[in-house]
Amino acid sequence: MDRPSGTSYQRFPRVRIRELKDDYAKFELRDTDASMANALRRVMIAEVPTVAIDLVEIEVNSSVLNDEFIAHRLGLIPLTSAAAMQMRFSRDCDACDGDGSCEYCSVEFHLSVHATDSDQTLEVTSNDLRSMDPKVCPVDQARAYQHALGGTDPFGANASNENRGILIVKLRRGQELRLRAIARKGIGKDHAKWSPAATVTFMYEPDIRINEELMETLTVEERISLIESSPTKVFELDSANQVNLFSLVVVKNAEAYTYDDEVIKHAEAIGKPGLVEITAKEDSFVFTVETTGAITAYELIMNAITVLRQKLDAVRLQDDDGDLGELGAHLGGP
Amino acid sequence: MGKANKSPSPAVAKEGDYSALRELFRPHVESFDYFLDKGLDEMIESIRPMVIRDPNSSNTLKIILEKGHVLSPMRGARPGVLPIYPQECRQARISYHGEFKVEVCFQYNEGAQIRHTFNFGHLPIMLMSKLCHLRGADPHKLVFHGEEATEMGGYFICGGMERLVRILVLQKRNYPMGLVRNSFLKRGAGYTDKAVVIRCVQRDQSSVTIKLYYILNGSARLGFWLGGREFLLPVGIVLKALIDASDREIFTSLTCCYSDKHGRGKGVVSTQLIGERAQIVLDEVRNLSILTRTQCLVHIGQYFRSVMEGFENDDYITVAEAVLKDYIFVHLENNHDKFNLLIFMLQKLYALVDQTASPDNPDALQYQEALLPGHLFTVFLKDRLQEWLRKSKRLILEEAAKNKGFDLGNALEIRKFLTKYTTSVGRAVESMIKVGNVNSRSGLDLPQREGMTIHAERLNFHRYISHFRSVHRGSAFAKMRTTSVRKLLPESWGFLCPVHTPDGEPCGLLNHMTSTCRVSSFYNSEGVIKNFGEMKKLLSAELVRVGMNPVLPKIEQTGPPEVLHVHLDGCILGTIASAMIEKAVNYLRTLKLLAHSGIPEDLEVGYVPPSFNGAFPGLYLFTNPARFVRPVRNLFILSDGKQSIELIGPFEQAFMEIRCPDGGDGGRQEPFPATHEEIHPTAILSVVANLTPWSDHNQSPRNMYQCQMAKQTMGFCGQALKFRTDVKAFHLQTPQTPIVRTGTYTKYCMDEFPSGTNAIVAVLSYTGYDMEDAMILNKSAVERGMFRGHIYQTECIDLSTKSRDNVPETFAKSILTRDTSNVIDSDGLPRLGQAVHPNEQYYSVHNSLTNVIRPVKLKGTEPAFIDYVAVNGTGSKCGLQKANIRLRRVRNPIIGDKFSSRHGQKGVCSQLWPDIDMPFSANTGMRPDLIINPHAFPSRMTIAMLLESMAAKAGSLHGKFIDATPFANSLKKDKDSDKPNSIVDELGPMLASYGFNYHGNEVLYSGVFGTEMDCEIFIGPVYYQRLRHMVSDKFQVRTTGRIDQITRQPIGGRKHGGGIRFGEMERDALLAHGSSYLLHDRLHSCSDYHIADVCSFCGSLLTATMIKSDTQKKVKHEMLGLPTVRPAKNFACQACKTSKGMETVAMPYVFRYLAAELAAMNIKLELRLSNKSGLPLS
Repeated sequence: MDRPSGTSYQRFPRVRIRELKDDYAKFELRDTDASMANALRRVMIAEVPTVAIDLVEIEVNSSVLNDEFIAHRLGLIPLTSAAAMQMRFSRDCDACDGDGSCEYCSVEFHLSVHATDSDQTLEVTSNDLRSMDPKVCPVDQARAYQHALGGTDPFGANASNENRGILIVKLRRGQELRLRAIARKGIGKDHAKWSPAATVTFMYEPDIRINEELMETLTVEERISLIESSPTKVFELDSANQVNLFSLVVVKNAEAYTYDDEVIKHAEAIGKPGLVEITAKEDSFVFTVETTGAITAYELIMNAITVLRQKLDAVRLQDDDGDLGELGAHLGGP
Repeated sequence: MGKANKSPSPAVAKEGDYSALRELFRPHVESFDYFLDKGLDEMIESIRPMVIRDPNSSNTLKIILEKGHVLSPMRGARPGVLPIYPQECRQARISYHGEFKVEVCFQYNEGAQIRHTFNFGHLPIMLMSKLCHLRGADPHKLVFHGEEATEMGGYFICGGMERLVRILVLQKRNYPMGLVRNSFLKRGAGYTDKAVVIRCVQRDQSSVTIKLYYILNGSARLGFWLGGREFLLPVGIVLKALIDASDREIFTSLTCCYSDKHGRGKGVVSTQLIGERAQIVLDEVRNLSILTRTQCLVHIGQYFRSVMEGFENDDYITVAEAVLKDYIFVHLENNHDKFNLLIFMLQKLYALVDQTASPDNPDALQYQEALLPGHLFTVFLKDRLQEWLRKSKRLILEEAAKNKGFDLGNALEIRKFLTKYTTSVGRAVESMIKVGNVNSRSGLDLPQREGMTIHAERLNFHRYISHFRSVHRGSAFAKMRTTSVRKLLPESWGFLCPVHTPDGEPCGLLNHMTSTCRVSSFYNSEGVIKNFGEMKKLLSAELVRVGMNPVLPKIEQTGPPEVLHVHLDGCILGTIASAMIEKAVNYLRTLKLLAHSGIPEDLEVGYVPPSFNGAFPGLYLFTNPARFVRPVRNLFILSDGKQSIELIGPFEQAFMEIRCPDGGDGGRQEPFPATHEEIHPTAILSVVANLTPWSDHNQSPRNMYQCQMAKQTMGFCGQALKFRTDVKAFHLQTPQTPIVRTGTYTKYCMDEFPSGTNAIVAVLSYTGYDMEDAMILNKSAVERGMFRGHIYQTECIDLSTKSRDNVPETFAKSILTRDTSNVIDSDGLPRLGQAVHPNEQYYSVHNSLTNVIRPVKLKGTEPAFIDYVAVNGTGSKCGLQKANIRLRRVRNPIIGDKFSSRHGQKGVCSQLWPDIDMPFSANTGMRPDLIINPHAFPSRMTIAMLLESMAAKAGSLHGKFIDATPFANSLKKDKDSDKPNSIVDELGPMLASYGFNYHGNEVLYSGVFGTEMDCEIFIGPVYYQRLRHMVSDKFQVRTTGRIDQITRQPIGGRKHGGGIRFGEMERDALLAHGSSYLLHDRLHSCSDYHIADVCSFCGSLLTATMIKSDTQKKVKHEMLGLPTVRPAKNFACQACKTSKGMETVAMPYVFRYLAAELAAMNIKLELRLSNKSGLPLS
């Protein structure tokens, strides 16, 4: 892409949010490159901080699972991390010596369950975790709390009222689990448990052009088979819009297209190459974000942008220091 | 987990489902049950009473063994207290054994019998056998006693070790085999390489092999082993000694099988030479001037009296009769039967020589059977009891010779002598199970003496099952150069798995029974002991009904091909006309299927039809135990529809027409006259081979590799892990059930012991870290728990045996310890759940003599957690002496760990790749857990892995498991139905219906750049196994460390911190590269660099001696506590008496060592020193 020199490369990306739920978001990102979109994706997965249990001191464990297993399971429980951005990393915290007993960088949890005289197996779940900080608790507890407050369940009305929590271990009569756990701030790059994103993905917005002239040469059967050649529902017959008594093939949902080229291959197979042309728009992306519940999807996106900006700021600061001087000279040419 | 809940757990609900698993272990358990029920009594009955004659007087004492009793395992020395359970035995590292008693009768001079019970120590009791406390226990009870809910038994516990008897292949019993073997030539002059060999097995399962050799002159010699050497008898003498037959009778019975009207037609086995040969056989006897039976017996008796034990004082005829009874055709009791069999064997031998009958292949399963644990147990115990009798007799006779007043009638004295060795019997049996060595003078007619038992490793369930299903050909064949024994022969079809054999050294020798293969036993389907006598009567009656002429003491007049012999377990019942035989065979097969006909369901109807120079024809019936049998569907009998499953053996299978349900004709021209049908094609595969999904779509070696790797996976070795004390156990933290599975998976409850994870596998070349079978794991997936595992190691510390100099040692904690870590609890044992680091103390031992507490440090380089501590034995007065400490080591996947799919596709993790850098799917946002290289497929052709990936994807979208039973389409009878034939055509539409690509491909985006990849990527879930080979156990690194004392070179071996050998080939590589500096560095500087002082005058490097430095100065220094200044070393040559010519030369230390070694042999090694200019020094 050769551009005449002197033109500005600056663009102003636009974001349009299509759907926003607590743990799900779908938005468009336009007028920017794949590098930007991918950077956002990567930051969302790996660098937006959350809080997760990182240190477990087991006092009593007579369950069937061993200590490391339980510690690992505890670590993977999503904790509400709305405050994570404001927290300190334990390693940077100067208020404590990293043992986790400080309000700036860590949250203490206690769990004490003893299966007494019950014939049933006792399920130890995330609901049994007692947090020392009301801001940070397992997401199920937070949800139950909101529910109890009479607020609407943010996760949809059809979510079951029965809040079972996340199963940690099952105890038999006589078994006991007692532990102290410390949750810390971290990022997904260090360990997957700190990743707030269940899934972050984006796709290039497809640009589908149907060659109407060629299409007119197709019979109804051929059109239907063309539509069905795509495993996803991209095209449909528009029975309301008929030309020469044939229903038109129209794009029903362009974003359902998976770039699998099935339609194009089909068009070639029936001897009509160029019947459908599909190109990816280079500067337009559709993001899908799902979170683990630790933070809301909105927070995830906003925090990701903040983190990304901080990273860029770090680069600029270095530039001011003159570290990039040589590089700048190099980039500037002779 | 939660198995012991009162609430019905799913395992309890489907209790009966374990029956399929139990079935796999039945050969082991049933054979031991037989030993307990009947074998023991039969064996003791068959032991010949020992007669002791007083050398001082004519008094005799007869010792008769009467009845044996084996008791259930009990706790403590006193019997009948409390039962001891297997779990406790494993924990305490003791044996699960029960007391063994035998009632012994003494008879003094034909007087009254005095009965006395002797205690012969303890016999190991097989788990789940009739004497095991767990027999018939439901899963609840099993779990209560610390066992698996699925516990199948079949093994012994000896010293805490789980040992099982290896099933060995033996020659088929009671069937005369025609063999051609070069080793027969070595029997002596005139011997040929041809013989007819029969392995005769008597009721107590002990066997004697008889060989009938062909001699060049046309006669034959009968050979058998006695007392460590082979005895060869002219066959004529044996024939005459057996029954009172005239030469004429012998002649006609031998020659009756020849008649000139047939020429060389079909089924003719004899030539006219037989007349001459019969003549020669008879002449041989006559030449020895032996005419009558009595003379024959006397002749044999003379020959054998010295070698037959216990017959020193008997007359020749008694001795000869004993020889005939104990060594000639021991499976028959009647001399007439023996005579007939010998005649038949002679006829077969001559047919073999004249090439009218082909030799039998001893490597074919057709002529083989299995050695079962119970049978080995019986045979070995008999030998030990006989040995005990022999020893006791010797003891008594020695005493009688020493002490003239010794009286054989003194029961008390006799008892004292007899009890001397009683416990050695139990101990010998136990050590046989423990070590696997059969120590016996006679060898017991067993193919090997070592390696009879193996350790039942519970590495994972596949391996565990395979141990019990394995069949070994014998260790003698492992050393043989020829590979013919290893060949996969068509005879083993359906009995031994063609896929499941290891590659490498034991290939083809260590086979595994197919999942449907059973072993015939003493029990019928109702669990009642078979009555073989009754069976024989019934069978002969039925045979007579269909036209058999029972063999009479009279001489038969015809032979094949007009009439064929009918054998039942090596006894000739009669003859049957060839025209009627097919009908008879069909009739017998009908009877087999009828429930209450009295004919055993596993009767083997081996009809060898007349042929042109093929196998010797006849109708061979077998009812005996230890035969391989398998079920097939009988097509004839469909009267009531249900009773059509027939058990067939390998002998009859060779002559049967069995078709596959797909209706194929195997490429025959004529129509397939099938009488039977396979139930399912997977019946030819073993349990482990059956677990490979769609193995019929893989290249066959890959399935073999999978069988190997399935046995090395890290999975659930057992759910009772908490109670296990295995030396090493592997455990996968989060296993999953495979989405794609075969029918076998559910049949054998493999979900109880899963062994892998459904990983999302992308097949692409990404980052280059996936080349050459390396694979990239997703770091985040690993962090979420994929493939996490543990190793459990149990250490059994027994201070009572360990203590040196008989000083009692106990566990104790020192009060004065400066050790601040609190790993060790107050009792000297570690605390539960405590982390121990290498070189940290984790238990301490108190020595009562020195009153010193000795802490013991953790070995190795890995930290461990204390998982479990158990104290064994509290009764001893010495205090805490025996404990099991189980350590747990965390093994998360790291670079270098080995993984494999279920299709022989193994690979090593080369990177834990960050999640964000992994390729992702735009639609689903999924990132693969694992990336493998596409190059893994073209040459290996593991199509089933691709199918699995597609199927698992479709299955997980659809929410159901996919059945991947191999050969499923060969069950379809209608080929041209509209159902799609290929699996892809079934899976593709399923995928497409969920909006995925028909072929399983997906468009992926680069995780690094966010751009679409040019190619569509094949991605889907594949069940991956983690193998037990982990870098943590294997990595070897060394900078400096211990060196060898003699050579001063670094030592080898990972355990001792040694290095890896830089060998000759590595040296060659460096030489070829010309990298001399590296070569010097590796082989010299980093190895045994040494600076030697060499005398340039005499050239010796051994004569350098240090000139003593000023010793006074040194002492002074020491006294003042000043640092000793190392004086400049001053050397002089001892030989030249001067220090002038001394030079220092750098050399490998081994060179100096070589010089010293040579000097010891009076060889002087001389160095010519020169400086760089090439001129000699000085």
